[in-house]
Amino acid sequence: MSEWLPFLVFGVTTGAIYGLSAMGLVLTYKTSGVFNIAHGTVCASAAFTFYTLRQVHDVPWPIAAALVVFVYGAVAGLLLERMAMLLADVSVTYKIVGTVGLFVAIQAGITLIYGDIAKNFEPFLSQDKAFGLPGVDVTYDNLITVVGCVLAAAGLAVFFRVARLGIAMRAVVDDPQLIDITGYSPVRVRRTAWVIGSSFAAASGVLLASNQAQVDVNVLALLVVQAFGAATIARFQSLPMCLVGGVIVGVLQKLISKEIGSQPSLQGLDAATPVLILFIGLLVIPRSRLVEVGRQVRARGFSSRAGKAYSWWYVPLIGVALLIPQLDEAHLFAWNLALAQVTLFASLHLLVRTSGQISLCHIGFSALGAATVAHMLGRGVPFPLAVLIAGAVCVPPALVIAVPAIRLSSLYLALATFGFGIALAAFAYGKSWMFASQNRPVDRPQMWGLQSDSRYFYLLLGVAVLALFVVTVVERSRLGRLLRGLSDSPVALSTLGLDVNICRVLVFCISGALAGVSGAMYASVFGGASPDSFNYAQSLVVLAVLAISGSRLVPAVLVAPVLLYVVPNYIDNPDHYKLLQIGFGLAAIYAAAASTGRLGSYFAARGVAAKDRLHGPAAVRVDRLRSAHLVRTQP
Amino acid sequence: MLKLAGITAGYGGTTVLRSVDLVVPPHSVVALLGANGAGKTTLLRVASGLLPPSAGVMTLGGEDVTRRAPNELVARGICHVPEGRGIFPSLTVRENLVLQSAKGEEAASLDRAVKAFPRLGERMAQLAGTMSGGEQQMLALARTYVQHPTVVLLDEVSMGLAPKIVDEIFEFLALLRSSGASLLLVEQYVTRALDVADYVYMLNRGEVSFAGEPGELADEDVFASYVGG
Repeated sequence: MSEWLPFLVFGVTTGAIYGLSAMGLVLTYKTSGVFNIAHGTVCASAAFTFYTLRQVHDVPWPIAAALVVFVYGAVAGLLLERMAMLLADVSVTYKIVGTVGLFVAIQAGITLIYGDIAKNFEPFLSQDKAFGLPGVDVTYDNLITVVGCVLAAAGLAVFFRVARLGIAMRAVVDDPQLIDITGYSPVRVRRTAWVIGSSFAAASGVLLASNQAQVDVNVLALLVVQAFGAATIARFQSLPMCLVGGVIVGVLQKLISKEIGSQPSLQGLDAATPVLILFIGLLVIPRSRLVEVGRQVRARGFSSRAGKAYSWWYVPLIGVALLIPQLDEAHLFAWNLALAQVTLFASLHLLVRTSGQISLCHIGFSALGAATVAHMLGRGVPFPLAVLIAGAVCVPPALVIAVPAIRLSSLYLALATFGFGIALAAFAYGKSWMFASQNRPVDRPQMWGLQSDSRYFYLLLGVAVLALFVVTVVERSRLGRLLRGLSDSPVALSTLGLDVNICRVLVFCISGALAGVSGAMYASVFGGASPDSFNYAQSLVVLAVLAISGSRLVPAVLVAPVLLYVVPNYIDNPDHYKLLQIGFGLAAIYAAAASTGRLGSYFAARGVAAKDRLHGPAAVRVDRLRSAHLVRTQP
Repeated sequence: MLKLAGITAGYGGTTVLRSVDLVVPPHSVVALLGANGAGKTTLLRVASGLLPPSAGVMTLGGEDVTRRAPNELVARGICHVPEGRGIFPSLTVRENLVLQSAKGEEAASLDRAVKAFPRLGERMAQLAGTMSGGEQQMLALARTYVQHPTVVLLDEVSMGLAPKIVDEIFEFLALLRSSGASLLLVEQYVTRALDVADYVYMLNRGEVSFAGEPGELADEDVFASYVGG
């Protein structure tokens, strides 16, 4: 027993922090219907703020903690509530895209200010021994953390049972309009929930940084994963159960890390624990218990213009593309990367735009594809066949993720894919059957002078056109029509006797396979595959960039890779690149909010309000502008 | 006194109400009749602030309250019992009543509600969504009693209930009226509504087709307005 005890103590301590974070996450999700994928980055930003206050400006820790939890947390909560408001009327898929944009923006912002490297974080709670257990000393640090988190959970539970505002917070989930005609502003109620939730997030970020004695954006951003592991145990509903869930996740994680210490083949399994819990939860929790919060909104239907109207553009476009190696030799490598990723964006477009599903692990599929192609080429398999196998390898994992999640809804698919991407990075990347933390060679085909980048460009262009062709065929085929019907009205499709889930799983597998192919081609541009090229967070960046690149297949999948690979190549200053990424994130939030036209009507309403405020001269000014030919007169 | 003047409102691009004028005088019952889709519910939503009108003015006791948020109108004495069940199903009966009552008056409100509907007293700790339809409607109606409103908007409160419960509800409405509130009543039991009403408005495709006292309204007109003609 005593050999387990230290792990139990550590597990309970970190678990309590996970629980605190999970409570913040579930509270905001329940009251607003927006599941904040960026929750972990909010925690991280709070921890960095604390770090700056305490270790750069020498603010005493109690003041710094109070400022971070009560001021920073509150301000973050107010801003997030505004964002949730903008996302209130969009489909679940775009809500996720919006918070993914926030993730990208905050992460880039933090690395812009503090750099990529973890900072040393001086623990601020006393490390002295409080009492001893056999084999381990429990420190005041442990004790205060656990007691604090338990008190927070208990306080929240009481607040929800007794206080009017707390009851109103539960009521706003049932019916926001009814709470309005009962005399409470739903906005105020939600705002309070976001402020509390963000304060919890801030506190958990600071505590986790202190617990680990370092502040690292990549570690803290993953707090959302531990949080949703804990939230799964609470069925995304009960707040006090989140704390219990957090402790279970924390303890399991430490116990697993103890067990696998001597087994290299299982290394990284501890980091994947919350993901495993999520998967088990998705499998065993009855569907009726995992209902989604918030109004169900359909994504905006397919544009009726989709089709041939602009297809004559493609001829000059391909002409220009053929000339790129001559026109822009200096940035040819970036163009090659971008072309290799056209397939990735095409696969993601098929998934997100056509079928209204989502994936936060497409880079994970790419990594699988890249590793496979490296292994296959190493065994002497010809290049084209190796690329095809790389695609095929992604189908079984796609099935494993999609089948449990798809019977639920987009949100759980997003969580499952996000978790899969992270588990893959933590567990599989380092194994010898994937990358084994080294650069595995991926040689280009030994013919037609493809070793040179300018020749290879044409092969990549061919593959990209082929991928576009495949996606177009899928969209135009029976499956594509079913998918469009699916995003229009799943009920109507079911009444026609079609199993919508099979369509969904099928398209998820096709998309995963294409992503695998793209990973193989991507690795071949580098001439090797390594874990660094396939960071899990890149999946989110890719999604954010796709969201801002337009809604039509060909323009979107061409613009997105250029934005992501070619434009940064023109930027020499790494800080400007970070700024660009922040821009991608913010633009993705905007694109998500605008996806149902709500933003347009918001601005229109503001315009009307502004006109009222100006007592009429608006019309006069419009006339003046018209006479100056600045505003086009409507016929 | 609630006064709507020239109200035009709708959802998205669809206009439902066209320049509707309606007055709810103090201490009176106004019945609002009309066929399905005539705009009765929309009119109540405008009156309680849930739907901001695109044109027109709404005044309450002389004060312009057009485009005020619903929660501000509650503070000014408007009480809306929406269509369906106006309760929070995942809260207990007690919690529902606490939310309905004014701050600091929770205990008194619970007493009042139980006095009006003794059945609620037996079910205080039960989740509201697990009660029968009639009990849920009683809980929804309790708000009209505990909020001390001046104008009560009632949207089909007898819908889907057993005749015996409907009797109880109409008794309650009489009680409510005697307590000094004015009622704006949308009802499917047209004759019962006309029995208690002081004034009648008839909506037809979003426009007021008749306004007057129940006695002036011929049965044929009512019939025609419901079945079209």
